[in-house]
Amino acid sequence: MSEHEPNVSRRTVLTTTSAAAVAGLAGCSGGGGGSDGSGGGNELELLHAWSSGDGNAAIAALIEGFQEEHPDVEFAEEPVDGAARSNLDQVVLNKLQANDPPSTFQTWPGNTLAKFDGAYEDIEDDVWDDDLKENYLAGPQEQAQYNGTYVTVPLNIHRINNLFYNTAVLEEAGVDPESLSSPSDVVDACETIAAETDAVPFAQQTSGSWSTVQLWETILLGQAGIDGYEAFTGGNGDTGAVESALQSVVDLSEYYPSDSSSISFTEANTMVMDGDAAFIHQGDWAAGAYSNADDFSYGDDWGQVTYPGTSGSYLLNMDSFPYLANNPSPEATKQFLSYCGSAEGQVLFNAEKGSIPPRSDADVSSLNTFQQDQFEDFNSADNQPPSVQHGLAVSPGVATNISSAFSGFLEDYDAAATAEALINAFN
Amino acid sequence: MRNPLTILRQRLAAHREVRADGGTATEAGSILDRDSVRSAPFWLPPFLLIGLFIYGAIIWNIVLSLTDFQGLGSPDYSALDIENYVIAFTGGTPSWSSLTVDPVWNAAWNTVVLMVSFSVVCLAVGLVMAILVDQEIRFENTFRTIYLLPMSLSFVVTAKFWLYMYNVETGLVNLILGAVGVGPIEIVQNPDLKLAAVAFALIWQFSGYAMIVYLAGLRAIPTSHFEAARVDGASTIRMYWRVIIPQLRTATVSALVVLTVFSLKAFDFLFSMYGGYQPGPSADILATRMVREAYANGNWAYGSAIAVLLFIMALAIVAPYIYTQYQRGEL
Repeated sequence: MSEHEPNVSRRTVLTTTSAAAVAGLAGCSGGGGGSDGSGGGNELELLHAWSSGDGNAAIAALIEGFQEEHPDVEFAEEPVDGAARSNLDQVVLNKLQANDPPSTFQTWPGNTLAKFDGAYEDIEDDVWDDDLKENYLAGPQEQAQYNGTYVTVPLNIHRINNLFYNTAVLEEAGVDPESLSSPSDVVDACETIAAETDAVPFAQQTSGSWSTVQLWETILLGQAGIDGYEAFTGGNGDTGAVESALQSVVDLSEYYPSDSSSISFTEANTMVMDGDAAFIHQGDWAAGAYSNADDFSYGDDWGQVTYPGTSGSYLLNMDSFPYLANNPSPEATKQFLSYCGSAEGQVLFNAEKGSIPPRSDADVSSLNTFQQDQFEDFNSADNQPPSVQHGLAVSPGVATNISSAFSGFLEDYDAAATAEALINAFN
Repeated sequence: MRNPLTILRQRLAAHREVRADGGTATEAGSILDRDSVRSAPFWLPPFLLIGLFIYGAIIWNIVLSLTDFQGLGSPDYSALDIENYVIAFTGGTPSWSSLTVDPVWNAAWNTVVLMVSFSVVCLAVGLVMAILVDQEIRFENTFRTIYLLPMSLSFVVTAKFWLYMYNVETGLVNLILGAVGVGPIEIVQNPDLKLAAVAFALIWQFSGYAMIVYLAGLRAIPTSHFEAARVDGASTIRMYWRVIIPQLRTATVSALVVLTVFSLKAFDFLFSMYGGYQPGPSADILATRMVREAYANGNWAYGSAIAVLLFIMALAIVAPYIYTQYQRGEL
């Protein structure tokens, strides 16, 4: 008998181990599916990437404002960590493929929506009522649609065609920013600044391609006008116009900091704040850093002009909340999206975010002076073209091709070859 | 001479002998009594888990690369073809996209260059450092720790650190070059230096690891070998070249396998250095290309095909070494 004892005990071990393994696996799958049960119908699952800073404060303000009106709606709000939104998209994609869509999530509107083609549902009847249609300008309203159907609600607008400057440096160089009227004037002004001061004329980072894509699209808009710009984003761009805008970037690159490839946007922006650089071209999130700095005030120490040559255009970068089909909380989501489309919600959000509300009737008196000026520009703009870099104007595949082209451009600054690659990005 | 066939024959022969001797043993009892069966609780669960999650995932990935899976939805396994591989080698417009797709030659070439140069130089530097540290110097442990420390840093940290080191104005690399009258040189976005700069930073990070592996190998060599070489009148260089280094083959293989895997993971490094998966054509590797296709464009099947190519490349480099080691009976 004693000889058989080990056998029995080993078999027991085997059985126990496999039972434990099976139980463990079952536990895993159970854990994955468990979250579905708590969906309820009034709990809103909101995924976003604003896990810190002004973005986090902005979404908190928005949710607080919404819950005052709809105290019965609970939020399962989940900031998805990670730079920008690439991780967020991955999380959303996994949920969509598991047929467990969130109520809504943070995304760029416009052509970026193509990434989850087929996952959205028409909200024209429930959310996009006449009030929204009357008060959103044509540009943002177009971006809220995917293939002609209203599927998302833009919440804020960051402008791309800005030229920020340090007032003291420009005064020392004797350059009047208001007098610049074309992209080539900026290059000339940089030359003057380089000759008259010790400051770097044009702060820019070139380790990543995004800042250069933004700059190029702004210059293209300035040189080729709205028609030339829209021809490019429509896939019918003129190679000459594209190359000429690239050449203008090459000219400007002479005036970048010499270590532009090793610095980040934050460092480039700090150069302007410290008076070590004169200009920076950026979205108006750059101004967020200025308003947080002591002794650096709008009007006195820094200023902003519409990028020379692009007056009349408000180059859009927006965030929005779309409505996903098979929604876990249809009613609550629609209520929330309607609130995002309200002037009140947008003002609460943008006061923290530093951007402006997309609704032209918003009461912006609670926003800061710079935002009020931007909002005035926005309402008087002739057109609101979508940004290439920020995903509105081109579909994700084309956007990848474009940023690939620019990652090559940053290596050799070959305007002709890059222009060809940019035109071919649509094929 | 541990040829698999020989081993099998030996085992079968042994088995027969046992049967011939143990006349009273029953068949059923012998199967349950076998070592392999008795130890099953210990090897079976990890075997099944590894089989499912590693080899199962590899096979699934290969099957996925034969589909046209793109965007949302689920892959269609009923129509498998090698279109993605044709596209990967020749470029063109695949059936699942309206956009032209470039072939992967550039990224593949960069991957090979990075993998080979990084692994070889890392091993060489590691070996030299190991031999130096092995000279019974003072503060040996301190040196060892200092050399190994970079490895404990994450790629994100080293990438940001080297971005700063390569700074044209304030970076240490350019300050040193300036001191000897060269430069300053643009490194980070210089198409001729980009990949070398990445390889250099990775070597900095991982040569300490190669050193530790070699040091362990050196310590395992009996002192008598050193003494015998000395008695025979070999110079130091000759002694290491002819007597010591040939005995470090196992250490080399194990270090090489790990280093190759690290070089494939250079994705993290490039991602943080260039703020995304667009390091530019002269530093683009298969890993960045793969992530771009899969996660930026949603071309899942094509991304899988690139992953398979990456897998084959890693296998092609590691397999011959492992096979020769196996034949020598050192594994």
